[in-house]
Amino acid sequence: MSDRAAIRVSNARKSYPGSLGKGRTTVVEDVGLEVAGGTVHGLLGPNGAGKTTTVKMLLGLVRPDAGEFEVLGRSSRAPSGRASLGFLPEQPYFPPQLKAAQAMRLYGRLAGVGRARLEDEIASKLSLVGLDRHADVQISKFSRGMLQRLGIAQALLGEPRIVVLDEPASGLDPVGQRDMRNLMLSLKDDGVTVLLSSHQLSEVEAVCDRVTIVNRGRVASEGRLDDLLNVEGQVSLVVRDLADGLPAPMEGLVSDVAVKGSSWVFSVAQTDVRRVIDAVDEAGGSLVSLNPKRESREDYFSRLLDSDGASTEEAGTR
Amino acid sequence: MMERIFALASSVAADALRRKVLYVVVFFVLVMAVAVPSLPSYGEGVDEAVYREVTLALVFVAALIVVLALAAPRIPAEVEHRTVYNVLSKNVYRWEYLVGLWCGIVFTMAWIIAAFTVIAQIVGFAVYADPMWVLWQGTLGVLLEVGVLAALCIAAASRLSTVPVVLVALVFLFVAHSRSSVVLDDASLAWKLFPSLDTFNVINPVAHGGGVDAAYVASMLLVFVAYSAFLLVLAALLFKGRDL
Repeated sequence: MSDRAAIRVSNARKSYPGSLGKGRTTVVEDVGLEVAGGTVHGLLGPNGAGKTTTVKMLLGLVRPDAGEFEVLGRSSRAPSGRASLGFLPEQPYFPPQLKAAQAMRLYGRLAGVGRARLEDEIASKLSLVGLDRHADVQISKFSRGMLQRLGIAQALLGEPRIVVLDEPASGLDPVGQRDMRNLMLSLKDDGVTVLLSSHQLSEVEAVCDRVTIVNRGRVASEGRLDDLLNVEGQVSLVVRDLADGLPAPMEGLVSDVAVKGSSWVFSVAQTDVRRVIDAVDEAGGSLVSLNPKRESREDYFSRLLDSDGASTEEAGTR
Repeated sequence: MMERIFALASSVAADALRRKVLYVVVFFVLVMAVAVPSLPSYGEGVDEAVYREVTLALVFVAALIVVLALAAPRIPAEVEHRTVYNVLSKNVYRWEYLVGLWCGIVFTMAWIIAAFTVIAQIVGFAVYADPMWVLWQGTLGVLLEVGVLAALCIAAASRLSTVPVVLVALVFLFVAHSRSSVVLDDASLAWKLFPSLDTFNVINPVAHGGGVDAAYVASMLLVFVAYSAFLLVLAALLFKGRDL
């Protein structure tokens, strides 16, 4: 990763006092991540994994027990370090007595937008999220999805170079979710760095260049999602025209066999690929495709979290 | 910095003007101010003094209710509803947020108290043919006192929820007004250092005399600045380490 990551978190740790003052509950044990500039980076994990607490520590909303938090090379714990950052909190809420434009005016001024261009920027951001016709509507009349859109609009005030979105699809209908994905990709096209905290695999897979998977307050895995889903040492083959079924030489070499019409789909260890292709040729079959084997994202996620949970429990019993 | 504080302050003031409690209290004071001259007469000159005294007491009670309604729930509600995230995730220091809230509340109270004073003057002039300019000294004292109370509420609310904040404010108010009558020469240092809000109570000289001199007004302003600054620094220290 580059020396000047847009966002850098290292060794983040946070615990809270236990109930009745007994002991402490560790929410974030050891989380580190680096987000390259101009990319969309997913912070993925189940509910309670420590994603939101990590984001809050990055934004100075929660005081960490330990760790370093940088945005564009400056500590983000100080407000001045967050001057180039926009944030959409999970389930954003606004003073209900304000109208959308009034709330945007307040947040725009706090974000340092000059008076000369404030009104234009408010109009442009409200239009971007589809709320331009609701600028003069009182926020108390907004639906859950409209609040989410307003939250996004306020996060984009001041043209931030980095945007942190905490569960941005929450409360949005399918069209809104699609718009949100398009918005993230368009921000990326404009050179904006996006840190997306989410528990929705499909959302993360659709837009993220890299992901950091967090579970039980620790980083469970990090990398390109494509790479993470590839099963090391295994390839997936599709062949057809095997009239007599799988040839005998292939038995014991293939797994996860499925038949779809005249096509056969199966997995093979990389070391056995040559032997399997020869056996297919000899049986009169033909190779349709050969790709690295990919685990379904749900299976990968479940396996990762299960194994991480098991290892955590093992460590705990030692 | 000033732009951010001003933005927060104007937001607080605009929010306050939408609160129903404000208009209920204004209506109550208006009715009472109009009703006071109809009290039984005590004789020429005495009636005016009674009018000034009762009016200032009413303004104080009304201002106290409004300042508690504005200041005590503000931070707990913003933290509970997470609206504070939209503010503090930006380039805003926590102390700027607190000072912005306080300025907004004091600014709102200044307008409300000024409106009360004008109403009291109009009624006073209509009934007694006296513009009673001296009332402004009394209401200035009320404004400064509720300004200090607003700072106390913000300091307490940076760690406590609404009800405890109100209780802390009322206890502070009671002790700070009764302190001068219980602090003796041999009292502990803590008692001697405890703030006295009696400085701001000029109802008696305003109602029954010609008011206070300029030097006293200046001393009220100094005490107001000192107490408010101390409480806001305390609030900033308490709020700085709070997890939101």
